[in-house]
Amino acid sequence: MADRLTAGSPPPPSPPATTPMRRRATALPVRVAGLLLRRALLMAALLGLVFATVELLPGDAATATSVRGESAADLARRRELLGLDRPVLERLWDWMTGLPTGDLGTSARGEPVAALLGGPLPNTLLLGGIALLLTTVLSVALGCWAASRPGGVLDRAVSGTATALLALPEFVIAVALVLVLSLWAGWLPAVTITGADGGLASWQMLILPVLALTIPQTGWNTRIVRAALADEARAPHVEAAVLDGLSPYRVLTRHLLPGALPAITAGLATSTGMLLGGAVVVETIFNHPGVGSVLAGAVGDRDSPVVAAIIALTGAVITGVLLLADLVRDVATGGDAVAGGGG
Amino acid sequence: MTARRLAPALVLIALVLAGPWLAPHPEDAPVTLPYGTPGGGFALGGDQLGRDVLSRVLIGGRELIVSALLIAALVTAIAAVLGAVGALRPALGRLVERTADVFMLLPAVLAVLLVALSWPGGGRLAVIAAAVGTGLPYAIRLTAAAAAPVTAAGYVEAAAAGGERLWHLVLRDVLPNLRATLLAVFGLRFVAAVYVVSTAGFLQVGPQPPTADWALMIRENAAGILLNPWAVVVPSLAIGLVALTVNHAAHALAPQTGRTAVTVR
Repeated sequence: MADRLTAGSPPPPSPPATTPMRRRATALPVRVAGLLLRRALLMAALLGLVFATVELLPGDAATATSVRGESAADLARRRELLGLDRPVLERLWDWMTGLPTGDLGTSARGEPVAALLGGPLPNTLLLGGIALLLTTVLSVALGCWAASRPGGVLDRAVSGTATALLALPEFVIAVALVLVLSLWAGWLPAVTITGADGGLASWQMLILPVLALTIPQTGWNTRIVRAALADEARAPHVEAAVLDGLSPYRVLTRHLLPGALPAITAGLATSTGMLLGGAVVVETIFNHPGVGSVLAGAVGDRDSPVVAAIIALTGAVITGVLLLADLVRDVATGGDAVAGGGG
Repeated sequence: MTARRLAPALVLIALVLAGPWLAPHPEDAPVTLPYGTPGGGFALGGDQLGRDVLSRVLIGGRELIVSALLIAALVTAIAAVLGAVGALRPALGRLVERTADVFMLLPAVLAVLLVALSWPGGGRLAVIAAAVGTGLPYAIRLTAAAAAPVTAAGYVEAAAAGGERLWHLVLRDVLPNLRATLLAVFGLRFVAAVYVVSTAGFLQVGPQPPTADWALMIRENAAGILLNPWAVVVPSLAIGLVALTVNHAAHALAPQTGRTAVTVR
């Protein structure tokens, strides 16, 4: 969770060079194309980084999965089978160009990774998606609630609890939830049971995993919402609205939230990474049939190509969410009418 | 005020580091019944092999804390220097920003798994290296942001114009003014490191059985959670308490420069 020290920083800073261009109110398609290109380049950089990590560290997929007493000739044969004897740049190119077409590479055991992940991925995305939705609703509600009485008992209680919860690892929360809600109270199933079609046997199986993911992220995002609202409350147009005698609800929905939206969206978008990273952990606890179970197997088999493919997939999902956040920010601030309007 | 919020974290860390000397039983000898309930000299009962849970809890935190301290110290030291250099040399600052954007796409837990699996034999070093690598971009962002106003101060500009060398500017003029920020960064990176190292341990990357390790204990004893819940609950509480107290200490240390949406974490 705590891996983005500045996850809440308002705009993931755009290169200074583009700022003057924005001022000139570039046409929307051009701005969107720029955002797309930027995200695509960052994604390509991530893939390069992952590939270099696997490549530069000692050991490769063939040696990692070698069995005791395997001869050097056997090893060389498997290396050839996995394509590890080809030049590095050629393999990097193949891997990166294969990813968009759905070819995720080959596991150390020689199976196509796409086949391993095809079934579990939707389950993980469902889990993460519900958790992100719930996080959004809870953190915005709690943040607004706390901001309604700045400095009051409620504000301090919400902020304090949020700070406490955001530091806890998901697996610690998951263990506590299982113990209390399913083993002692007996309300919810402790492990996920899958039906014949590989899906979940019942929706109740989702409750505990979603809660374990949502609790720390809600703590983190509530703080961001609260801080963004406090920033916005000091803006002159908000103070004017309050002095004009508008109702608190109207001030919140028409004046505070729109201004705080970019910071809130950026915070939620970066939570996506934490949710996906946490999901693979939570899944192994609840036996949820997602990417996490494949990952746990890959750890046992020391199968780095599978981990690399999972990182590529989560990176793509996070890129998509960040792109959405970019667009929200662009619409909220980038347009020519909004930024200068003010009064 | 600050001291009062720091004390719980410091006391707890000292206790964890001293734990192995306080343990009444060895970490890998069965001394009671498997999943034995508390009683008869075993305050927290037995684990899945009948080893003393209390002793294993006392022993099993030190490696986590030492790793986390090491990671936090490395990240803070490197981030302090690079952040100050980045504030003095904008080109490097922009490079750091782009790197942080890339790392935002990479959940730290997955990065640790990738490094540990690609580096068989890397062991604890692999986990530490990966945690330092993923923590750095965010820490540098914070230190660079804190260093920017300092580098714009008249005396630094005068020193730079006077031809002082870069390392002199960094070490003598900029960093001494960032003490509060650096302490906060250290605390926050410690919390992050506890999260990453313990989660990796839970996924069985890191300490291997029969080593006593909190995260590993939670995983190993989960099957007997109804027979002896303490074997799972106490290590969970231990990790939770360390994360919580250090997090509170770090927030107490963070410079209070008014509320902004740039929440320090």
